[in-house]
Amino acid sequence: MELLDFARGPALQFGLYAFVIGTVWRLLGILLLAAKPDHSAPRKRGGILAALKVISSRSVTAREFRQDTLYASVLGYVLHIGLFVIVFLFVPHILFFKGLIGLEWPGLPNNVIYFVGVITAGVGVALLLRRMTHPVLKLISNFDDYFSWVVTMAPIITGLIIPIRFGIRYETLLAIHILSIAVLLTWLPFGKLAHAFLVFFSRGTTGMVLERRGAKT
Amino acid sequence: MSATHPFGAGPRGNIDPILNEVMHALDRLLTDNESTAIDLSSLPFGPGEIEELEEQLGIGEIKAELDALGKSLIRETIYPGVWWLEHRNTDGETAGRYIEITRVPEILKAQDADIGAGLKQLNRRLEPVGDAAVT
Amino acid sequence: MKDERTLGEVLLAKGVSRRGFMKYCSATASLLALPPAMVPRIASALESARRPSVIWLSFQECTGCTESLTRSSSPTLEGLIFDSISLDYHHTLQAASGDAAEAARHAAMEENRGEYLVLVDGSIPLGNPGYSTIAGISNVDMLKETVADAAAVISVGSCAAFGGIPGANPNPTGAVAVNELVKDMPVVNLPGCPPIPTVITAVLAQFLTFGQLPDLDHYGRPRAFFGQTIHDRCYRRPFYEQGRFAETFDDEGARLGWCLYKLGCRGPITYNACATVKWNQGTSFPIESGHPCLGCSEPGFWDEGGFYQPISTARIGGGTALGTAVAAGAAIGAAAAAMSRRRQAKTIKEG
Repeated sequence: MELLDFARGPALQFGLYAFVIGTVWRLLGILLLAAKPDHSAPRKRGGILAALKVISSRSVTAREFRQDTLYASVLGYVLHIGLFVIVFLFVPHILFFKGLIGLEWPGLPNNVIYFVGVITAGVGVALLLRRMTHPVLKLISNFDDYFSWVVTMAPIITGLIIPIRFGIRYETLLAIHILSIAVLLTWLPFGKLAHAFLVFFSRGTTGMVLERRGAKT
Repeated sequence: MSATHPFGAGPRGNIDPILNEVMHALDRLLTDNESTAIDLSSLPFGPGEIEELEEQLGIGEIKAELDALGKSLIRETIYPGVWWLEHRNTDGETAGRYIEITRVPEILKAQDADIGAGLKQLNRRLEPVGDAAVT
Repeated sequence: MKDERTLGEVLLAKGVSRRGFMKYCSATASLLALPPAMVPRIASALESARRPSVIWLSFQECTGCTESLTRSSSPTLEGLIFDSISLDYHHTLQAASGDAAEAARHAAMEENRGEYLVLVDGSIPLGNPGYSTIAGISNVDMLKETVADAAAVISVGSCAAFGGIPGANPNPTGAVAVNELVKDMPVVNLPGCPPIPTVITAVLAQFLTFGQLPDLDHYGRPRAFFGQTIHDRCYRRPFYEQGRFAETFDDEGARLGWCLYKLGCRGPITYNACATVKWNQGTSFPIESGHPCLGCSEPGFWDEGGFYQPISTARIGGGTALGTAVAAGAAIGAAAAAMSRRRQAKTIKEG
């Protein structure tokens, strides 16, 4: 059980601290920046409402682009919803969060989670293939994109292997799964995965700026 | 030996797989004259499941009781050729449960060693009479 | 005294019939997790087997392991296996005491040089030899002396196998497991607090029947009994998959016999045969009685956090540590922003 003890203990602890420190660091580092002075007279004063409007409106692709980006946006949605379901609705995960923050909520049966996990992993692979073959996307992808893909997929794949086992001991697989999460948590605030929390601030800022200029959002 | 399938069997899910195993064993007994024994102690039964299995197999025509190192109950089920064996120790505690698929359970047959010992005993008893003894 | 009789002869002398012997062999096959088809082979092997001499050493222990074994032995079947060994030294069970007891140990070692088995329950304190002594001999000295000419050592219980309670944090006596001291001969670990009595007799039966020790896993435990987790063989497993859990010990789920994962069950990471072999003559096992598995056959199970904490809970410091992390993150973030502002201001100024 030694590997599991290390994974559940120091490794996960490191990952969580890195995640918390990194997230607060990056958020404050950005939010405390001085806004560029804008001397023009504002057309509208939307404030927080304008921010919320764009946060929600940009969750749906604009009609003009819908046809062209259908494949990527559908896959993107499935990936994100799948991630949400497996991270937050699998009972052992809920118990993990309960241990951490003291809150608990109902989960889904394991078979549903396994099914969603397989779909999510498949979609992840499809999106990677698209990134590697798409002429433009291929050019603008860097190490961060590929590494972020690896650390996101690793917990899904290792988690899915646990019930299948492949002759490997449960506690070893569980330890590897937890280690992969520790890596994900450590990387998340510092790479492109930081979009998990930054997306709301960037969209919100865009919304406020555009509203001020009186642009259609 | 059939293990519980991780996602399939319910808490009472051992019965059907075992009955299936018994069915295939009966088929082998009839076609190849091959006997099978299933050791029930190696299976993960839930509470009351063994009793339900016993009930499903029912009570057939033959019932025998063996008294050696504690009692053993040997009983044919409603399926001829399928036997329910229960070994008990001298305190009457169950020491093992088996389903045997065979024409006659081996333990019911008189064993050569015991026959020999019995023969010797009978021989000794008849010795004073003289001629009748078999040597 | 050395007993030269074979097991067949011993049983015959007890008036056991061939049918009785076959019954005994079936029980042995069950014990060894061998298919009933192996019974004839077991019978022929057992008939000619000689009774092994066994020396049982008890160190830092609670006698629970001996209790487990002696309570179990159904007087005829499993008990016979225990009867068929020659238990030459066991300071709780033997009649002799003092010098006579130690003389019996030395005699057994002398007469069965290289052939006897040493069973150990309890861990061995290395902190101070005076923490645990028998007849004025420290545990470590007695162990080393006794195993010197043994065929193999069997560590009975989690204390002998892994250090157990005496070895739990902060381990005040410096307790160690047997296999940390005995390196040059086979050591079979039969952990559990206590171990399943059947498992103890099964290993003896295997040694008796085939003259060899069982196949072991990476913790030195027989694979036949420790090859699968409690979770894998648990009749409540389907409830785990369906997401039906008991939330407390007295709710609807607990009464309906749902999975005990949320109540801290260690079944998924515990390797033992409780779910199939069961306890008290096959009556039940802890989960069947409504209590989660504590994982007592795994190394260091006392130090694995609260027994009622689900296994997926992180074993990390509480909220204060995370609060510190938030503060640290805030400090770095504020510093980074301040530096950027200064750079920004400078750029604007330089225009």
